[in-house]
Formats: sequence, structure tokens, C-alpha cells
Amino acid sequence: MKTPWQIMTVGDWLVVLLLLAASLTGLAWVATAPQGTRVVVTSGEQVLFTAPVDSPHSLSFDGPLGPTRLVIDDQGVRITDSPCSRKTCISMGPARHSGDLLACVPNRILVRIDSPADPKAPYDLLSR
Amino acid sequence: MTWNRPLLIGLLVALLALSWWRLQPDDETIHRSQLLMGTVVEIMAAGMPSGKLETAVDAAFAEIARLDKLLSRYQLDSDVSHLSQSDNGRQVTAETAEVLALGLDVALRSGGAFDLTLGRLNALWTIDGETPSIPHHDAIAAALIGTGPTALTLDSRQVTKQTTQLQIDLGGIAKGYAVDRAIAVLKQQGVTSAAINAGGDMYLLGQRPERPWRIGIQHPRQKGAVLETVQVSDQAVVTSGDYERFFEQDGIRYHHIFDPQSGQPARGCQSVTIITDSVALGDALATAVFVLGPKAGLQLLGQYPRAEGLIVAADGTLHTSPGWERYRAAP
Repeated sequence: MKTPWQIMTVGDWLVVLLLLAASLTGLAWVATAPQGTRVVVTSGEQVLFTAPVDSPHSLSFDGPLGPTRLVIDDQGVRITDSPCSRKTCISMGPARHSGDLLACVPNRILVRIDSPADPKAPYDLLSR
Repeated sequence: MTWNRPLLIGLLVALLALSWWRLQPDDETIHRSQLLMGTVVEIMAAGMPSGKLETAVDAAFAEIARLDKLLSRYQLDSDVSHLSQSDNGRQVTAETAEVLALGLDVALRSGGAFDLTLGRLNALWTIDGETPSIPHHDAIAAALIGTGPTALTLDSRQVTKQTTQLQIDLGGIAKGYAVDRAIAVLKQQGVTSAAINAGGDMYLLGQRPERPWRIGIQHPRQKGAVLETVQVSDQAVVTSGDYERFFEQDGIRYHHIFDPQSGQPARGCQSVTIITDSVALGDALATAVFVLGPKAGLQLLGQYPRAEGLIVAADGTLHTSPGWERYRAAP
């Protein structure tokens, strides 16, 4: 009696290998795809930077007035320096929850905390 | 075990299907922000294929930008600027007339606590300027001459100014109107679940999947803290507070919500949150209630059966309208 390996044709092998490769690629993508809460920095329509909120960074982004500096640490993300006159963006303090937003309107820099819909989040948006 | 070709192929196809299923996003939600109307406008939309959502959100942002060009006092070519520059008034666009009609109605019902004619006063204070300072009381008095709820009259699209120097400022209502119109655009495009937030003027369309939207209300004196959380669906939520745009001098806070009687920042409240059907109405009511203070503010809300309010008084005490409780989210 022949074993399964002896029965399989070249065509069988090709189909099996193709399906296996496609499945493993898909599963590997799922396993490595970025998940969780992220910091997204934009200016106009352009995304300047994105990273997990739990990955410490010190960053600087140039707006029309000059560099806006950000820090991502265990408190969340906050603007530490800005060329705008009122420094309202600095006084907004840290953002850490999904939907939180920091903005330097004069320097046209937006910082948003983004995450997949979390049914346990305390709120979807903050009214202020 | 014997060789079973269909079974093996079937198992591999099932594995492939599983991996592709896991690759599909659980929640087709897009979230975009733009700086428009002097503030951050956020739009979150869900429940449709992302391509259609992107098209709808683009159209909503375009509508807000279009209205900014009509209603802003900072754009010299806007409808509002032309009206302010006119001697005795002029015909305005249908959109401007709609905003004026609603604003004048709230102005009359609030006894002038909401006022569309404070353009000169707002320009005098320069709260958002680089070096804000307290204007001289004579200058404030001069800026208030000829202002008030009857200083402007509207007949269809024809606006009449009682005095030539009257300067119109729709800052207390235009953002809300733009959000209302942008929501209408999203609805036309078939969007059934969305949120638009323009610097505190917010509309929540439909629901998050299987539950209403949960909106945190900023504590006016504790940065980053939430005063309470409400649950809403197909409603506007608007907050006005003295903590977003202000400067301090000699330990006194000077903020951007002015009492039209005195020309000074209103002192009765720290913040006011309104829940109602339209963002434009919520915007106007939040300002009017802030100026009136808790007691008279709640009386004004009594004239609007579909509006509810949460007021943080100047001393930090909380005051709510009778129907507010039904929006409160369980802790």
C-alpha cells in the first residue's frame, strides 16, 4: 500500500505549499501587526509620527512657527516646548486616554491618542 | 491514516480563511482631525467600508471649511465681515441668515446674555492675542454702545444694523452650526455612527456599536480630570468654560466669555455643559447660561424642553436641570 506522500502529485504539492505559505503569512501578519493605544502626531493632512503610547520618546516637529517638542513617557504624551506665544498646548498637560487630544493651533501641530474601540474605556470623547 | 486529498486541502483552506478573517479590522472606524475655525475639529466615523467613510469625512470637513469662509469675522471676505463693514446692513447668505435667526432668538430669550453684536468688545480684549491686557473701562463702555439683542434685525435674508459701527461676531454659535451642517453631510453620505467635535462643540450621531456614546466632561479646575460622564445618542454636547482661553493678572482670571452688560468676563460659572438636539443651539445656550449664572441660567433652560444643562458655579457647586439625570452614565 502506498503512503500519502507517494500518492501526492507535483500539483498536490504546489497547492499545499501555496496554501500553507498564504496561511502562515497571514497569521504572522496578525501576530506582528501593531496593536493597542498609539500616539499620532499630525500637521494638516499629514501624519508626522505614530508610535505606541508606552514607548518612551523625545521628539521635535517643525511647524510654521518653529519646533514643537513632545515627550512620551509613563505619564502619557505631553508638549514640553513650543514656539507659540500663549503656550496653551503645554498647559494642557499630558494626554493618555484614547480620544485625548493636544493641539498647538498657531503652530498647526496635533497630537492624538488613538486606539481600537475599547468597550472598557471610561469615555469615547472629552467635552471641554 | 490513508491519504485524503480533499480533507487536507479543506484544512488548509480553513486555515487560510481563518488568517484572512483575523486580518479584517474588528471595527471599521476612522478618526481624523483638522485645524479649522480657529480650533481642532475631530471627526470619528464608523459602520461603513473605510473608502466610503473617508469620502464622507472629506465632505464633512469641506463643509466646515466652506462655512468658516462665510461666518468668520477673521476672514475679510466673509459674509459676516461684509455685514460688519456695511453702513446699515445688507442681504446675507441663507446660511448666515439661519445662524443669525437662531442667535437673535436666544439673545432675546436670554435678555441679552447671549449677544451676536460684541465684535468690538471681543477685538478690544484680544484674549487670544500675544499680549492680552485689561482694556480701559472707557474703551469697554465705548465698545458696548449700540450693542444688544435689538441692535440687529433680520427679515428673511435682509439684515439691518441699528448703528453703522456695529460689529458682528458669531463666535458663540458658528462652530456649532458648522458641526450641525457637517453631521447633515455625513447623514447624506449614509453614515449612521459618527462624532464631530469642534473645540468642545460636539454632536454624537447614532451609537457606538451596541451602546450610546460616552462623553467625559472636563473638570474645570482639575486638569485631566473628568467631572462626570454622560451617555448620549443623536444629541449635541457643548461645554463652555473659563479654563480654555484666559489670562491671569494680579491673581484674577480674565477669560473669553463676556457679560454683555458689563463688558467684563462673566463671573457666575466655571463651566456649563448643554445637551440638546442641535450644536448651534447648545453653543448659544452654553454661553447664555454661563453669563446668566446658575439660577437664571436654569430658568432660561426651562424655556427649552429638549435642552438639559450641567452648571459648575463660580464656587464649584454643581447645578443641573431636571432632566440631566437621564444622561448620567453609571459610575
